[in-house]
Amino acid sequence: MKGSLTQSMSWLHTWCGLLLGWMLFAIFLTGTLAVFDKEINWWMQPELTDQALSPAAAANVAQRWLAERHPGETNWNISLPTARAPDLAVSVGERRRGGGGSGVIHLDPLSGEKIEPRETIGGNFFFHFHYTLHLPRTLGVWAVGFAAMAMLVALISGIIIHKKIFKEFFTFRPAKGQRSWLDAHNASAVLLLPFHLMITYTGLAIFFLLYMPAAVNALYDGDRQAYFRDGQSGQAAEQAPRGEGRASKAVSAPAAPLRPLSEIVSQAEAHYGQGMIGSLAVSNPGRANAQVTARPVLGNRIELTKGEGMLFDGVSGKLIQAPEPSRTSQLTQRVLAGLHFAQFGGYPMRWLYFICGLISCAMIGTGLVLYAVKQRKQAKANLHFLRVVESLNVAVVAGLLLACITLLWGNRLLPAELAARQDWELRLFFGVWALSWLHGWLRKPLSAWREQLMAAALLAISLPVLDLWSAQGTLDVMRLSLLASVASMGLLLGWTVWKVPTVIAARNARSARLGRPAAGASS
Amino acid sequence: MTRSAIQSRSAWPAIAARTALALLGGYAFTYAFTAALARLLPLDPVDAVTAASLLSFVVYLVFMLWVFAAASLRRVLVGVGLTVPLAAIGFWPQLMEVLR
Repeated sequence: MKGSLTQSMSWLHTWCGLLLGWMLFAIFLTGTLAVFDKEINWWMQPELTDQALSPAAAANVAQRWLAERHPGETNWNISLPTARAPDLAVSVGERRRGGGGSGVIHLDPLSGEKIEPRETIGGNFFFHFHYTLHLPRTLGVWAVGFAAMAMLVALISGIIIHKKIFKEFFTFRPAKGQRSWLDAHNASAVLLLPFHLMITYTGLAIFFLLYMPAAVNALYDGDRQAYFRDGQSGQAAEQAPRGEGRASKAVSAPAAPLRPLSEIVSQAEAHYGQGMIGSLAVSNPGRANAQVTARPVLGNRIELTKGEGMLFDGVSGKLIQAPEPSRTSQLTQRVLAGLHFAQFGGYPMRWLYFICGLISCAMIGTGLVLYAVKQRKQAKANLHFLRVVESLNVAVVAGLLLACITLLWGNRLLPAELAARQDWELRLFFGVWALSWLHGWLRKPLSAWREQLMAAALLAISLPVLDLWSAQGTLDVMRLSLLASVASMGLLLGWTVWKVPTVIAARNARSARLGRPAAGASS
Repeated sequence: MTRSAIQSRSAWPAIAARTALALLGGYAFTYAFTAALARLLPLDPVDAVTAASLLSFVVYLVFMLWVFAAASLRRVLVGVGLTVPLAAIGFWPQLMEVLR
């Protein structure tokens, strides 16, 4: 029984890992990049400059602008500059989430002048791709959820087949072909096993009611709103049905001056913390029934509460409603979601997640390569299938790296005023990715790997040169750090690609001297 | 699954059956299990729903692994068959509604 359990789990690990591994690598790599989504956004809009203005002062600038041009609107939305985004953006009318919509207007936080940064898919692209694979949203979320379940299956079946888990943790035999790939796969898996499990499970927990609506269907007849209402305490539930009737009241309410929004930002900062206010929503500005909702940026704590905010009276500036703490069960889910989003703990935590994410990518990548290396040695391997696997490996691992770095290049090279510029960025990204697969199909696997990885490394290393050459905005600390990070990662990648063939050559020479063939062609 | 069964060509129907049972049967089982658990947990409905739903991924995971590890297909079918009583527990009031 023991033997057959190991065998069935081994079979499951191989096939689950191989067939979903390609998708998982793309999800993990874009997720890792999405840790720095806002920073990439910042870099990708060089027209925006960091004025280091306090959010409160920026709120007043936006208020002045809106009061001059849109005094009669029922709703104002203001997205404030934060430590991770220099952008002050406003929109009017029905409430929108964040920037990006067509009605959003960007303002220079100092002068209050309208500015027009280039349209870009930005770092947001990595974030959206991470959980939708650029498919229609619902379909994409389900596909990613499916991949996440497969990841869990692969992880647990991997643990079961792994007999000497502790001993192999300390084992690495470099330049030994298949053995090295296996060691690298094991080490990256075991080293960060808690992280792999945590990040996959918490990813599922974000959309828990979407993926598994059984309990809501059974206890609430599928009414998710009723479930959320139940989760709030009495006071909040009474005030919950807002929004309706607000517009009709707007007509009748007499005019009354709106408080300076900076005061409201300061009040909200007293609750959420300095620099933690991400956006303001004003309803009925200039009327006696004006209300202001101040929403925090994600990440003033682990718990992830999207859409929560503090409600203030717009005329008196009094607090009408403060967010109440979540009840324990929902707090659990929100902390799980927050653990996935990694918005807490500032930059040290972001870098920790980023490095852990890269190691997850390495585990998936080495697993994919390991399959190809193993199959190549087997006499009765299906060569056609092996060819498909090898070209897909190249395209998904090396090709995706190449596509990501080309996207950064394209952001600087595509004309800033190009119409439908975001679509061109998408075409560039997916075009390069498709070409990388073609290249992987036409070239020998080893050459395809080397050429694509080298191209990605060179593009990354030379990104600072491109940026200096095409510099429109000022090179602030954020952009310089991004360039330095990309270039050093490019150097690391380039060094690896450079070094590996010499190590292999040395090993082949050594084994030839000993008069036996080199064990396992390396990839 | 035995070694020979995995390697021979005639293993494909068995593999396809287990895969389908793991994915679809597993989801149906988990769906019914989650509903039944939420119904039975001695908690407020909100807390029961949250706890059962968060646990569902673990249930699905263990069930899928078990489908591939189980000695015979018949056992797997019995396991998937548990969906029916679990669903009856989970959706008891709705079931009464329909029957009335």
